[in-house]
Amino acid sequence: MADSPVSSRPAALRLTLACELGEVRRVAAEVRHFLAAHGCDAAEINACDLALVEACNNAIKYTPPAAKEKTVAVECLCDWARIDLRIHDHTAGFDWPVKAELPDPECESGRGVYLMQTLMDETKYFRAAGENVLFLRKHRAARPATAPKELRESDRVISEMVEELSSCYESLSAIFRYSSAQTNIRDLNDFAHRLLTDLLNITGADWFTLRLTSHDHSRLFVFAASEPALELAPLSREEYSPTVKSVELEAATSRREVWFDAEHPLAAQDPLTSVKPDSHGLVHPIFGGEDFIGTLTIGKTPAARATRRGHSGSVFTAGQTNVVGTFADFLAIQVMNARFHEEQVTSRLVAHELDIANNIQQSMLPKELPALPGFQLAAFCRSAHQVGGDFYDVLRINDHEQLLVITDVMGKGVPAAMFAVILRTMLRASPELASQPAALLTRVNRLLFEELSGVDMFITAQLAHLNSTTRRMVAASAGHCPLLLATASGGPVRELSPEGMPLGIQHDTHFAEETLDLPPQCRVLFYTDGLAEALNASGERFGQDRLVQWFQTAARTATSAEQLKRELTDVLAQFQATKLLSDDQTYLIMSG
Amino acid sequence: MKIQIQGDTLHISEVRELGAANSNSFRDQARSAMSDNQRNIEIDLSQTSFVDSCGLGTLIALHKTACSRRGMVRLLNPTPSVQQILELTRMHRIFEIVKP
Repeated sequence: MADSPVSSRPAALRLTLACELGEVRRVAAEVRHFLAAHGCDAAEINACDLALVEACNNAIKYTPPAAKEKTVAVECLCDWARIDLRIHDHTAGFDWPVKAELPDPECESGRGVYLMQTLMDETKYFRAAGENVLFLRKHRAARPATAPKELRESDRVISEMVEELSSCYESLSAIFRYSSAQTNIRDLNDFAHRLLTDLLNITGADWFTLRLTSHDHSRLFVFAASEPALELAPLSREEYSPTVKSVELEAATSRREVWFDAEHPLAAQDPLTSVKPDSHGLVHPIFGGEDFIGTLTIGKTPAARATRRGHSGSVFTAGQTNVVGTFADFLAIQVMNARFHEEQVTSRLVAHELDIANNIQQSMLPKELPALPGFQLAAFCRSAHQVGGDFYDVLRINDHEQLLVITDVMGKGVPAAMFAVILRTMLRASPELASQPAALLTRVNRLLFEELSGVDMFITAQLAHLNSTTRRMVAASAGHCPLLLATASGGPVRELSPEGMPLGIQHDTHFAEETLDLPPQCRVLFYTDGLAEALNASGERFGQDRLVQWFQTAARTATSAEQLKRELTDVLAQFQATKLLSDDQTYLIMSG
Repeated sequence: MKIQIQGDTLHISEVRELGAANSNSFRDQARSAMSDNQRNIEIDLSQTSFVDSCGLGTLIALHKTACSRRGMVRLLNPTPSVQQILELTRMHRIFEIVKP
């Protein structure tokens, strides 16, 4: 503002008067006071006074009776250069002459318009339906070059307030616009560009750059910028130290706004300096809830500062800074939405893949259990996750021989399921070894060793070859939990655990075989460690002892493999009530 | 306002304003105060701060009344603002304006 003598904004007064001539002088007196208070001289006041009275008289005299209830409005605007009067009437309107002439001297009327045009410098009459407006303007006499200091100061304050208000208005309208658009944003990049371009207009800045954190939060990459040159390389957050000069990293680390201006200029090494040297501006950290998610930087180059100089010393006014914060919040919401959406899509994809894997795994289990004469089979398999690493299989060799298989791939989920599929295929692809469980384990161990050890996984498995004619069972184990043998006639449960390392631990390992001659009415339980490891609500394990105890009792009372399966399922379900399954649970029961 | 008869002259003074709101009554009061003996009208405008076109119309109406009696209207000591309006509308050519 410097020594500018006056404000550019006019003072305004608005009055209304009833449609009565007696009211006119009262209103005129108020206008006189108003003009006097704003420094108008006597000649200006008298001219406006008379012109206004003439205008109001006409407005009242020619108002039709039907409109007499309506008021006449008078507006007066006054600044250092001019006085404007607007008189709103409800008459039928006049034909306003370009230049009114004086009537005959003997004529008693017809001087009003002449007086108005003579006393004022500009007159215009706007006719419209229901209301007409007479505009009168008086140019003011030249004033001293400078106004008193107090006036200049008030003017400066008012100017700043007006600028602030105007900025608030622009900001509010932008905020309303973006609020309504929030739910309908398809392209975050496009949204960010539009929002930040508006922000530049509101704040008078001429460039912006928006950085977001990478998924692992280690870097800040440019997501949007006002020009391609500002699409700078990602900043590594781990590299930040007081010697690394980047206002953006500083804001990311301090989680506070960082200003760069004449007092704290951009460092020579700051990446922003290479594109926008000598800029002044602000880095605003962006948060989604408590989480830091990026930085918004807006700046003014020396050219922008020259053309859009603010009143205060700082780069942006308090109002503008608030708008930056508000817009950053808008961006945060959208960034969080976009990320949430992305995660949802990813998790839907993963869930879909798991569904497919689960289907494959379920189809891998035998549809029917080919029981041999005199024997019955029942089986159960349940994964702790959508897919698991347990499976059982029954390979028919001939009418009286079969191979029973139960395995547990270490780990859960998709990787475990993949190895389960591979193992099943390998076992089925080696029918010539189906009657030699140890040899079969040796073979698959060699075949799988490289793959399993490469990913630090292993598989436990138990294979049992059954001959129904001889009632002889040959079992081999690759580090699997023991199989249990009981009889309906009672007696202790026998635990059979042939020696052998899990598959994938050693390339060349020895698997022992144990031979069992099955007694009449025998019951054999093959299972995975998920049974003994089952937990109840208070964190207690089901345990091997409880399993053995149950089996001993159940072997006596249950009459079929199917009944044993149901009972075991019930026992486990009761034990694990209200508890999520923590491991896959699989068992295969034979009776005969 | 104050109206006095001074021989053949009707003397009116203490007029604050002469505008649309009061000009008709001003005219009527003046006319009714004139008897057949008065043909001239003197209006003291020294205390009149405001006259508008309606006020001028009233002065012209009184001027016509005086003329019809072969008399005249004399305006005494108008204030500067009123003087300006009289000149602006060239009324000074019709009325005799007497200044101190």
